[in-house]
Amino acid sequence: MDDLLRHFIIEAHELIQQATDDLLALERNPQAAVPMDSAFRAVHTLKGSVGLFDFAPMGITLHAAEDLLGALKDKRAGIDSHVIDSLLACIAQAERWVAAIEQTGKLPPDAAEEGYRLARALRSQLDEEPAQAANPVPQADLGWIEELIAQGRDQATPRAQHRPLVAIRYTPRADCFFAGDDPMALLRSVPDLVAVRLSARDPWPPAAEIDPFSCNLRIEALSGAELDRVKAVFRFVPDQVTLHETIGAAQEQASGMALANGGAGVAMGAAGVPGARILRVDASRIDRLADLVGELVIAKNALAHLAGQFNDGLDRKHVSQGLLASQAAIDRLVAELHGAVMDVRMMPMRDIFRRFPRAVRDLAGQLDRAIDFSMEGEEVEADKAVVEGLFEPLLHILRNAVGHGAEPEPLRLEAGKPSKTRIVLRAYRDGDRVTVEVEDDGRGIDPAAIREAVHQRGIVSADHLDRMNDADAVDLIFAPGFSTASEVTDLSGRGVGMDAVRSAVERLGGQASVRSLPGQGTTIRLSLPLTIVMTKVMAVRLGRELYGIPLDGIIETAFVPVSRVLPVRDAEAFVWRERTLPLVRLVDLLRVRPPVEAPQRLKVVVMAAGDDVVGVAVDGFAERMDVLMRPMTGILAGMPGVMGTTLLGDGSVLMILDIPELVG
Amino acid sequence: MSVRLDVNVIIMEGACRVEDAEPLLRWLQADSGRMVDLTGAEHLHAAVLQVLLAMRPAIQGTVRDAFIRDWVLPTVMGESSLESKSQGG
Repeated sequence: MDDLLRHFIIEAHELIQQATDDLLALERNPQAAVPMDSAFRAVHTLKGSVGLFDFAPMGITLHAAEDLLGALKDKRAGIDSHVIDSLLACIAQAERWVAAIEQTGKLPPDAAEEGYRLARALRSQLDEEPAQAANPVPQADLGWIEELIAQGRDQATPRAQHRPLVAIRYTPRADCFFAGDDPMALLRSVPDLVAVRLSARDPWPPAAEIDPFSCNLRIEALSGAELDRVKAVFRFVPDQVTLHETIGAAQEQASGMALANGGAGVAMGAAGVPGARILRVDASRIDRLADLVGELVIAKNALAHLAGQFNDGLDRKHVSQGLLASQAAIDRLVAELHGAVMDVRMMPMRDIFRRFPRAVRDLAGQLDRAIDFSMEGEEVEADKAVVEGLFEPLLHILRNAVGHGAEPEPLRLEAGKPSKTRIVLRAYRDGDRVTVEVEDDGRGIDPAAIREAVHQRGIVSADHLDRMNDADAVDLIFAPGFSTASEVTDLSGRGVGMDAVRSAVERLGGQASVRSLPGQGTTIRLSLPLTIVMTKVMAVRLGRELYGIPLDGIIETAFVPVSRVLPVRDAEAFVWRERTLPLVRLVDLLRVRPPVEAPQRLKVVVMAAGDDVVGVAVDGFAERMDVLMRPMTGILAGMPGVMGTTLLGDGSVLMILDIPELVG
Repeated sequence: MSVRLDVNVIIMEGACRVEDAEPLLRWLQADSGRMVDLTGAEHLHAAVLQVLLAMRPAIQGTVRDAFIRDWVLPTVMGESSLESKSQGG
C-alpha cells in the first residue's frame, strides 16, 4: 500500500469520526453552528481526499452529503432525524468502504450501486418532500413501475406477464447534451424493451421560453433483459438512473438493504481492529523520548570510557565505583524511558468513547427506547491496551443498559421518571487506577429474579444461594452461563453475557462490579490499572523450574516448620499470625512431581486468592522483578492458571501463574 | 441537415442530432400549426424529442423506424391527443 493511501486511510477514519460526532451533536441541537460547520468541513475534506484516488462512488456519495450539509447550513433544508439518518448512513457506508480499502486497496464491487443509491437518497432530501425522501427506497417512488407494467400489458405483450423485469427511471441532467449525452440513444440500446414512458421532468415553460439544449426529460422504461445488461447501457450515467428489479424483487432488494444496514455495527467493530494498530502521539512525548535516548547514549559512552580506564590498569576500587555510578545512571534512564514509552502509549478514553453515541443511538432506534445518553471524562487517559480492550465490554454493557435497563416510555412515566432513560458513561482517575462506569436510571436488577435464574440454571447450589445477600446475588450476573433475557434478541442475548465482560476486564488486570437498586437503575463499574505493561512479579522455585507470581497478590513470605502443618481431612492448614490458613502446595497445583526429600521447613507464599488468604508452599524464593508480561496467545491462550509469560535475562521463559485461578 | 421546412411541414430525416432541435423549435415557435413528418427519421436525439414533447405538433406520415414508431410516437402523439382532449373539454 502506498504512503498516500495509508495517510488517506488514517485521515478518513478521523474525518468520519468527526462527522459522526458532529451529526449526533446536530441531532441534539439542530441550531448549533459549530458542529454544522465542523461536519461540513469534515465531509468536504474527506470528499477532497477521496478525489485523489479512483474511488468515484465514494466521491459521489460524499459530494451528495456535502451538498445536503451545505443546504442545511444555509437553512435551505430543515434538520430532522431523517436527514441525520441518511447522512449517518452515508458516513457509515464511507466507514465500511475505508475498511475495505484498508484491507484490499479498493472499493468493494457493489460500491458503485450502493454509492449511487445513497447519493440519490441524499439528493432527494434536497429536492423533494422530506417525508418521501426518508425511505431509501421510497414506496411512493415505486408506483410508476406498476403503472408501467400495466402499460406494458395494455400494449399486449404477454411475455411481460410472468417474468422478472427491470424498471428504469432515467432523469438526465439538464446539461447532459453539452456532455455529448443522447438519452434517447441510450434508451434505444436498452435490450428487450417492454414499456416506455417519456415525460417532462418539470412542466414545460411557455413555447417562447423553451431552451432546447437544457434537457427536461424523464424516461421510464421496462426491460425484460437481465439487470446487468441494462446496467451496462447506463454505465456512464449511473447517477442519473434508478434501476429496480420489479415488484417481488424490489422488495427483496429493500430487505437486503436493511440487512446490510443491520450489519453496520459488526462491520464497525471489525473495521476498528486494523485501524487500532496505529498510535497517534503528541509530538512533545516523542521529543522527550528522543532526549532520553540521547542521555542513554551519553551513559553508554561513559561505560566505554570506564572500560578503557580498566584496560589502562586503573585500580579496582575506582573502577567499581565508576561502574556503580554508571549502573545507577542507566538504571534511572531506563526507568524514565519506560515512563516515557508508557506516556506514548497513554491514550484518552475519547478514542473509544466517541464511537458509543452512535452505537447507543442505533440500539435505541432498533429497540424503540428513548435514551438520553451522555459521557463524562473522555479526556481520562490510560494505556492503549486498556482503553482499546474496553471497547467491546463497554459496548456490551451499553447494549444491556438499552436492552434490559431502559423501560418503555409509558412505564417510566407511570413510575414518575423522565420519559427518556438516562445512561451515563463515565471515566475518572482513581489513584493509579482508572474507573469506567455505565450508569442508567432504568428498571434496575431484581435480586429475586437473579436468584430464580441462577437456581434454574444450577450455577450455584441452593444452599449457597440462600446464604447470599442481595448484592452478592446481583453480582451473579457475571457468573458464566448466566443470562436472564427470557427472549434472545440479536442485541443482548448472544450467548456472551456479562461473564465475557468480566473476563475481558480481568484480562486487562481490572475488576468488574455491579450495583443496582430495583426501579432506580444499575451501575456497572469497571476498575482498571492505568497501565498493564509492567508487572512486578516474585519468582519462586519449584525443583529446578522458576515460576512468577504477581507481587500485588502476595502478602508476605514465611517459613513454616513441617511440624506446624495441620492435616485437615484430606487438605492441610497452618497457623499464620494467629489465623488458620489453608495450605496448598504448588507441586500439587501444577501437578508436577514432588521433590524426592521433604524439607523440614516449608517455604510459604502467603497471598490473597479472591477474598481468602492462602499459603502456597514452594521449594524456594527467588528475586523480585519488573517484567513485561505478554499475555498467552494462540493455542496457549486458553491455558488455565497462567496469566502470561516473560523472558528472563538469560533468555529462558518465565510463566506467570494465576494462583487464585489455580486454587479456585 | 436532417431537418428541413417544406412549406408548412417540418420534415425530419435520417439521424436527427442535437443541433436539429433549435431550427425545429424555431419553426414551431413561429407557427405552432406546422406538421412534423417523421417518415424518414431513423433516430431522434433527446433534444429533438423534447421539443416535440413540449410543442406537441401534429405528426404525419408512417414512421419506418421501429423504435420511434413503437416507443416514441405513442408518447408524442398520446400526450398531444390528451392535451387536445383536455383543451376541448
